[in-house]
Amino acid sequence: MNQGSSLHGEFSSISPAEFFYRNRQMAGFGNPSQAVYSTVRELVENSIDACEEARRQPDVRVSIDEERSGIVRIMVSDNGTGVPYGEVPNAFARVLYGDKFTARQRRGTFGLGVTMAVLYGQITTDSPVIVLTQTSHTTGRSYQLLIDIKNNQPVILSDESHEREGPGTEVTIRLKGDLNRSRNRVYDYLQLTTVASPHANMELVINGSSVMRMGRWHQMLPAPTLASKPHPHGADLELLRRLVADTGERSLHDFLVESFQRMGTRTATRFLKFLSINPRQVVNTLSRGDLSRLSSALRSYDGLGRPDGKCLSPIGKDAFLTSVESVFAPSALTYGSRGPTEWSGNAFIVEGVAAIGTGARAADVPTLYRFANRVPLLYDSGEDVLTRMLKKVNWVKYGVGSTTPVSIFLHLCSTRIPFKAAGKQSIASLPEIEHEALSLLRELGRNLKKTLKGDERSVRDAQKKREFDKAMKQVAQFSAELAECDAIPSTAELVHRLFEVGYHV
Amino acid sequence: MSDQFKSLSALKDLGTAIVQSIDNEEFPTLELPGRGTGNLVYDEESKQFVLGNARVIRDSSNLRHIKSFTQLVWVASYAKQLLQAGRTSSLRDLYYSSEAFGVEFTDQAESDRTVTDLECLTGIAREAFGVFPEERSSIYGQVTMRYTVPGYEGRDVDLTLSPDGLPIGPALVTADPVESKAELILAVESGGIFSRLIETRAWERFNAVLIHLGGQPPRATRQLMRRLHDDLNLPVYVFTDGDPWGMHIARVISTGSANAAHIQGLTTPDAEWIGVTADDISKYSLPSEPLNNADLKRLDELSKDVRYSDSIWQDHIRDFRQLQRKAEQQAFSRHGMDYVVDKYLPEKIH
Repeated sequence: MNQGSSLHGEFSSISPAEFFYRNRQMAGFGNPSQAVYSTVRELVENSIDACEEARRQPDVRVSIDEERSGIVRIMVSDNGTGVPYGEVPNAFARVLYGDKFTARQRRGTFGLGVTMAVLYGQITTDSPVIVLTQTSHTTGRSYQLLIDIKNNQPVILSDESHEREGPGTEVTIRLKGDLNRSRNRVYDYLQLTTVASPHANMELVINGSSVMRMGRWHQMLPAPTLASKPHPHGADLELLRRLVADTGERSLHDFLVESFQRMGTRTATRFLKFLSINPRQVVNTLSRGDLSRLSSALRSYDGLGRPDGKCLSPIGKDAFLTSVESVFAPSALTYGSRGPTEWSGNAFIVEGVAAIGTGARAADVPTLYRFANRVPLLYDSGEDVLTRMLKKVNWVKYGVGSTTPVSIFLHLCSTRIPFKAAGKQSIASLPEIEHEALSLLRELGRNLKKTLKGDERSVRDAQKKREFDKAMKQVAQFSAELAECDAIPSTAELVHRLFEVGYHV
Repeated sequence: MSDQFKSLSALKDLGTAIVQSIDNEEFPTLELPGRGTGNLVYDEESKQFVLGNARVIRDSSNLRHIKSFTQLVWVASYAKQLLQAGRTSSLRDLYYSSEAFGVEFTDQAESDRTVTDLECLTGIAREAFGVFPEERSSIYGQVTMRYTVPGYEGRDVDLTLSPDGLPIGPALVTADPVESKAELILAVESGGIFSRLIETRAWERFNAVLIHLGGQPPRATRQLMRRLHDDLNLPVYVFTDGDPWGMHIARVISTGSANAAHIQGLTTPDAEWIGVTADDISKYSLPSEPLNNADLKRLDELSKDVRYSDSIWQDHIRDFRQLQRKAEQQAFSRHGMDYVVDKYLPEKIH
C-alpha cells in the first residue's frame, strides 16, 4: 500500500496548458519563424470567423513589429462581433475553451490555437496578451492576461475600459519570433486568405510600413452556416449514449427522426425494419448490447441521402473564380465542385479552380494551393491527401506539360477536417476524401484540356493570319514592281474576308 | 536585245495579272505545267523530254500555297532587277538575296525549285533572266567569240587564250561565234583528260573544241554546245567514264534531262557517245572495278528509261551487266601517258 501511494505521487496529471506547451511543435510553434506564422494565422482565423458571425465584411489588419532582435510584437485587429467581457479571460487564457464543437464549418477548430499563441508568448517573453474588444452594445475594454499554466486558469493583470472605434477585437501578443524568415509565409498566407475568403480585406503592416492591402474581390458574404444534427454515419457508441440521455422517454423511431439528419419517418421505419427492432421500444430501455448493435448499424447503413450541406460554406463558383483571377491574373480558369458527401458522418465538399498562366512554373504536375475550411495550408504539403491525389492524376493526358504553367486551387470544407496534427497543415488520407478529390481533379483536367485546345487553336489561327497577311502584302509589293505600277494594291480586305468566314486548311 | 525584251515583258505580264486580280478583290492564282514525273513525255520531234499537258494551280488563297506563291513572285521581281541592271546572279546568290526582301526559303533546293517554277511559268530559261548555277565548265579551242554582255559588247575572245581553258559563264553563253578553225566538239567528263588534251595539243591534231563537262554539265554548257553545233555545224563527241553515270551524261546531252524538260534549246540530239563503253574496257584491257549496288540499280533504272529504248542503248546496258565492271577515262594511262590521244581517240573519232 505504501508502495502504491508513493507511485501515486509520480503519476500526477498535467494540465492541458502544460501538455500543449510541452508538445508545442504539434500545434505549429516548434521554432521562432513558425511561431510568427502560426500566431498570425490563429488570430486572423478568429477575426474572420468573428466578422462573418456579425455578418460584416471583414477588415483585418495585421501589424508585426520587431522590438529587438528575436522579439516581435504581433497585433491583429478586426471589425467583428467583439468578445463578451465575461468570456474574454477564458477565451484567451484558458486552453481548450470554446464554443467550436458543433457540427458546422468554422476556421478555428479546437479553441486551442489562440491560447497556444498566448502561452508561447508568455513563456518566451514573459509578457501578457493584450486584448482590446468591443461588442455592438458596449464601449471598449482592455485586458492584460496571463495563463496559470499549472492549473489552466486565466490570470487577469488588468481590466479597464478603453475607447475603440466601433465593435471588434484587437489582440496583441509579444513572442520570440524570427520575422525575416517568416515574412514571406505571412505574406503568402494573407494573400491566399483573400482567395479563400474573397469578401475579406487584409492588410499587412511590418515595422510601421504597409506591405500589402488586398482583398474584397467579391462583395457577397458567404451564407451563414447552420449547425446540423449528427449524421447517422457518425453515430458512435459515445454519441448515441449522450443523445439517448438527452432524449429520455421516446420511441426508438421518434428518437432517430429527431436526433439525426437524413432520418425521415420513412427512412427510420425502413432502417428499423431492416434491423428488425421494434420501433416503438423506448430508447432509454435499450440495453448496452442493443445500443452497440444500433450504433454499428447506423454507421454502416447506406440507404441514406446526401448529407446536409447547410452546415458547410464552400467558396462557390463565382467568388472562387473572381478571387483567383484577381490575385493571380491567369489567362484562363475553370471551376469544379464535388459533394456534399460525408466521411464518418462529417459532411464535406471539395471544390477547385484550375488556372492557366498564373506565373507558376510549368511542370508535368500543376502547382497546388490547398485550403481547408477557407484557410490556406502552407506547410507539410507532401503528406497531404490533396497533394497525393494531384500526383496520382496523369496530367500529360490533359495537355498539362512543360509549356503550360497551370495552378490548381483546392478547397476542402467539412464540419471536421481530418488534420494529421494540431498544427493543422496537412489533411489525412481518408478513402472518401481521396475519391472525391481525385474525381474533382480529373474534372478540372478535362476542362483544362478543352481550354488549352481552344487557346492553342486561337493562337495558331492568329499566327496564321499574321503570316498570311505578311505574305499577301509581299505578293502585292513584288507584283506591283513587276507590273511597274506605283501604287501597291491593298490586300487587307482579301485577308480579312478569308479569315472572317472561318476558313480552315 | 529582243531576248531581253521578251523576258522583261513576260515578267511584266505576270505582275500585271496579279495586280489586276487583287484590284478586283480576287485572290490571284497562277497556272504552271505539272513537273511531276508523270507529266514527262518524250517528244519524238525535238528528240528530248518535254512536259505534258497536266497543269497545277498555285492559289494564293490556299494557306498551303501562299508561301511558294510569294517566293515565286519574289523570284520574278528579282529576275526583273537583274535584267534591268544588266547583272547576273548565281542560284546561291539568289538564295541569300531573298533574306533582304523578307522572303524565306528553307534551303537552296527550295529557291532553286522556285527558279524552275518561274521558267515553267514563263517558258523562259533562267539564263535569260541572268540566273546561273555556281559550278562552271570550261572550254578550249580554235574559235573566236564576240561578247554581247554590257561593258564587253563587240570585244572578241580567242578560246585558246588560257592554257587552262576558259570558264563557261553567262558572258560566253550569250557571245556569238565569229571565227573558227574547229571541225568538231569533243566534250570530256574529267578535268584530267581535258588538261591532257590541251597539253598534248590534241585539239590541233583533231581540230577540236574541247569542253570539260565535270560530271553532269550545267545547262549553260549544254546550251553553248548546242549553239556551236548549230552555228558552226560541228559534230559533238562525248567522252566519259565507262560506267552507267558516264553513259547517262552523254544521253542527257543528246536527249535532255527530266529536270529541264520545260526548257528548249539545251539538247544536241546527234551528239555521239564514244565511250568508254563496256566493250572498250575489255578491248583495251583497261584496269577496272566491279560494279557496285548503286551502279547496278542505276542500270536497272536506265534500262526502263524511254531515252534508252533504242537497241543500241539497250545493248550498252546489257554489255555493262554482262561485264559487271567499270573503268574511268584515266584508266588508259596504264598504256602510257599519251595512249588515249595517240591510239584511242583516233579510232573513235572519224
